[in-house]
Amino acid sequence: MSHMFRLLETGFNPAVFNMGLDEALLRSVAQGESHPTLRFYGWKPPAVSIGYFQGLHEEIDTDACAAQGVDIVRRITGGGAVFHHYEVTYSIVVPLAHPLARENILDSYRLFLGGIIKGLATLGIPSEFSPINDISTGGKKISGNAQTRKLGCILQHGTILLDVEVDQMFSLLKVPLEKARGKLIADIKSRVTSVKHCLPSAGSEPFESLFSTTVGALEKGFAKSLDLDLQRSEPTLKELEIAAELAAGKFASAAWTALR
Amino acid sequence: MKLELIGKPEGCKLLRLTIEIDATAGLSAMALIQSISIRGDFFAIPEEEFDALERALAGVALGKLGLEFSKLARERGLQCAGISGEGLDEIVHRHLATLNERN
Repeated sequence: MSHMFRLLETGFNPAVFNMGLDEALLRSVAQGESHPTLRFYGWKPPAVSIGYFQGLHEEIDTDACAAQGVDIVRRITGGGAVFHHYEVTYSIVVPLAHPLARENILDSYRLFLGGIIKGLATLGIPSEFSPINDISTGGKKISGNAQTRKLGCILQHGTILLDVEVDQMFSLLKVPLEKARGKLIADIKSRVTSVKHCLPSAGSEPFESLFSTTVGALEKGFAKSLDLDLQRSEPTLKELEIAAELAAGKFASAAWTALR
Repeated sequence: MKLELIGKPEGCKLLRLTIEIDATAGLSAMALIQSISIRGDFFAIPEEEFDALERALAGVALGKLGLEFSKLARERGLQCAGISGEGLDEIVHRHLATLNERN
């Protein structure tokens, strides 16, 4: 039997709202007020998010972000720093008691990322799970993901790159040499790819169109891979209110952003 | 004394450590940790338990960091990915070995 999930497409929003809404959905599902939820969204203005355990100034050139109009937000999930611009972002919220929940983090990634892998395949891009938390195609990363568990729920969110602005990305993020060496790749730029790079036909497609096409493919991918019955919906008024409160009171606060 | 260490041990993400130690008897594996901050793109769930784990590492000998980290993580039910006690030990021991070579 299919698993009933709410499907949200919440458009393009500032970083603090995006992170606020993900946490609001987590609370709402945890309290049994909403069904398990799959959400797709984008970022406007572009933003850099950092993992819960990362040092702000070790990972991000904050002056460069300010100069380029790029927001900064700390996530409630671990993982690395991400430049969010030309991409599709998703979040999935599932109670730990749900049949799709896995106790082990890696098992959980493997299961949920199956949806993205199937979605990319729908677009004609073969890809594979690259533990711990990535998806790669042709040896290059196309999707990064992060997960947490709070209030008896799993929240996983992640990105699928539609295009890569390598020069801008590396002008905003500080990438230590140790990391590049550790991955045994001489050119750090060669580690990342995107839907646009993988699909020559997408080269001339406007961003909004490619975003919609990719979201549609991912919806199908998640539905097929996880056997979901996706019910298109909107965030509740309460979820939006909590998201706005979290955006202003938590995610926009200097104390949270510079937590580490 | 403050140590700023960085490394990417086998099986770990890039880890950055800031360790305040009591080095009155010299910097060695016996020196006691006064406070520690561990940063990086790893995962540790629940995150708040990791914050508490860091605080609980105060008073631990530098040479026993990895052992105590693993023990406390187990006790607190932390699920970790991209970080391990062995990885932390590797970073600390490499640093101590480098210092010994210099001296």
